[in-house]
Amino acid sequence: MTQILSDFIRALRAQDVRISPAEAIEAGQALELLGYENREILKQGLSNALAKSVDEKGAFDETFDKYFEFRSFSGKTPAGAQGEQQPQEDASPDSDGDPGGQQGQGGEGGPPAGGGTGQARGEASAPPDQSAAEAAEADLLEILERGDRAELQRRLAEAARRAGVTDIRFFTQRGMYGLKIQREMGSERLDDMIAEARDSADPAQQSEGARLAALREVLRSEVRDYVERQLQLFAANAGRRLREEILESVRLSQVERTDMKLMHELVRKMAKRLVSLHSRRKKTARRGQLDVRRTIRVNIEYDGLLFHTIWKKRKVDRPKVMAICDVSGSVAQVSRFLLMFLYSLHDVIPNVRSFAFSGQLGEVTDLFEREEIDRAIAETLDRFGGSTDYGEAFETFESLALDEIDRKTTVLILGDARNNNAEPRADILRKIHDRARRVIFLNPEPRNAWNSGDSVMRVYEPCVDRAIVCASLKDLERVVSDLLRTAV
Amino acid sequence: MNEHSRSGPRPVVAEIADIEARLEAQNYICNSAIATALFLAQKLDKPLLIEGPPGVGKTELAKAAAAMTGKSLIRLQCYEGLDETKALYEWKYGKQLLYTQVLKEKLGDLLQGAQGLKESIGRLHEFDDTFFSEEFLEPRPLLKALWEPGGAILLIDEIDKADDEFEAFLLELLSDYQISVPELGTIKARSTPLVFLTSNNKRELGDALKRRCLHLHIPFPDQALEQSIVRRRVPEAEARLNAQLVGFVQGLRKLDLKKVPAISETLDWARTLVLMHARELDADLVRDTLNVLLKYQDDIEAVDSEISALVVAAKKEAEWRVK
Repeated sequence: MTQILSDFIRALRAQDVRISPAEAIEAGQALELLGYENREILKQGLSNALAKSVDEKGAFDETFDKYFEFRSFSGKTPAGAQGEQQPQEDASPDSDGDPGGQQGQGGEGGPPAGGGTGQARGEASAPPDQSAAEAAEADLLEILERGDRAELQRRLAEAARRAGVTDIRFFTQRGMYGLKIQREMGSERLDDMIAEARDSADPAQQSEGARLAALREVLRSEVRDYVERQLQLFAANAGRRLREEILESVRLSQVERTDMKLMHELVRKMAKRLVSLHSRRKKTARRGQLDVRRTIRVNIEYDGLLFHTIWKKRKVDRPKVMAICDVSGSVAQVSRFLLMFLYSLHDVIPNVRSFAFSGQLGEVTDLFEREEIDRAIAETLDRFGGSTDYGEAFETFESLALDEIDRKTTVLILGDARNNNAEPRADILRKIHDRARRVIFLNPEPRNAWNSGDSVMRVYEPCVDRAIVCASLKDLERVVSDLLRTAV
Repeated sequence: MNEHSRSGPRPVVAEIADIEARLEAQNYICNSAIATALFLAQKLDKPLLIEGPPGVGKTELAKAAAAMTGKSLIRLQCYEGLDETKALYEWKYGKQLLYTQVLKEKLGDLLQGAQGLKESIGRLHEFDDTFFSEEFLEPRPLLKALWEPGGAILLIDEIDKADDEFEAFLLELLSDYQISVPELGTIKARSTPLVFLTSNNKRELGDALKRRCLHLHIPFPDQALEQSIVRRRVPEAEARLNAQLVGFVQGLRKLDLKKVPAISETLDWARTLVLMHARELDADLVRDTLNVLLKYQDDIEAVDSEISALVVAAKKEAEWRVK
């Protein structure tokens, strides 16, 4: 029975429900306590032990329903009575000629359920496993001929267990697992018989071959459906994960419009990860006033003489971040993600001021706080789009916000430094650098393209603390993580 | 579990139904999900972490469980800055000071006849030191819960409001039912308390904490459950009014509001309507009493235009339910 549970847990993990071994053990204990009698209670109990957030509960419910599909629970439903017969049947595989029992089992045709019983059986009767396989081979044809779907499913599930179908990860593996399972079920003999019948000259034999081939087709389609469902159960997320991995390192300017939604999702996820990573160190304490109460308490040992002093701690909040983003055509995409990132980090960096420029510069902090991020970006592009002029942008920035830059402020500048041959005004950048804690220049272009054409990177580079290539989500994550780590 | 499935009666199902009934006797109406979680928490000796929107009866569940089991309820309200001196123990330092003074006076007797410093110190070591002993320990809620004879119900309320450090500090208690006092060593529970933690999800709790607990999510109740809660708590409300007002609140929860009304607000509203001798819901009545349900002016204004439609829908639903 534990096999059922551990497969179920694997299916849950495939759905991004995080389950530790300790929790798995707990689920086992819960299962032992609750038993299989009442589906609703079992579901609730396992949910208590395994799914630990609202999102996970949702995934759990879905997976539970899929996995225990059509499973008959003894009790309430009449099908339960037959459910109890299973163990007996399992013990003696030879006795499954009884048509009544099989008829009753029709209710649980669902493969995952069948998988469960099959596995349970394999465990219960390990030694006869081999003979069971032979038996399966022997009467596979018979079952197909009888059209006994329930029995077929049972054998299918058992063969699937031997083929290790729960390891399936990608849809491209369907064919391979399908073949493996069919082979485990003894399809080879059937194939031989078909080939033999076709080769013979006897027309009766040939029509027999055609009949067998039709049966073979039934088997094939059953197996295909089964594998398909297993794929859904165990690998639903694998494809998405692969895509996410690729998207993380693809150049942001190359991201297709169709992937945007996934990208947003991804940014949110990364931001969440960063928040949880860094929020714990948020409260770096600084020595403050004397804590009289605790000082006295600690110094009782010394008869009230104040040997140890204890100080009240003062929390030091995260620093200010100012982001100046180029939103002209070439860099807009990256700016969009940087801003998204910064605003997803609100919990850790509460003070973000953002400025956008192309032709002119303007503050967009309010816009982003007020609007949905997509709308805010669209409006920003609309308001400040135009031909880039870094010089003018810096001038406006100087009059807008230079006074507010202090030694706790990190200034992020995102842009390709392509200035359309206008005055770069690096002197203002130097001023900013002198006041700020540090200035980081993020350039989405590869390093060897810097300084080519109208790029004025060479003028800006000496005025900033760091100039980094920042083209993919991974780069962005690294920059932001770095920002969080060294800030205080 | 095979034993269960073979024997005719189903003790587990019966036990869970029994818990449900006993909670109901404490005026706490619940469904099998809550009863199952409680059952597992008792059987597996695991803390139960309860999450859900505010006002769905998370704290109430702990209270009801305490009343049900007849154990005493020890409650620890969490807040930012809560530390172990407030949650776990504190030395009674006033008494400790007195003790040292008493000790000083007795010191002469104790050291009588001792020759030289070495022997004096030797005598001092022989002397049973009670300076750091349980006598001078002032138990705070967590320690109290461990010391309670026969086990207690420990309610750690709104754990999400406490700091991360406190959360980490709870881990030892939650997994082994013991706590470490540096001066004394480990203090084990005399008998295992049943621990409830509640959280409003103000911040995401750590995985380590979640791993040690069973997790129960209590959502807003559905119409039928909420009706039976109202019936139990405000029996004066007639069946028709009951169904209508619950239907209306259920409708409100579907709207996009700053703060959706919780069960406690439904109950307050039901009492208000009863006080006003209302027998049926109508738009004007709702408009006059809406401030009981909604706590933000923005919400009240936003709902205003929807009231008639919601009342009509609630009445229709109620008609069907009452039948």
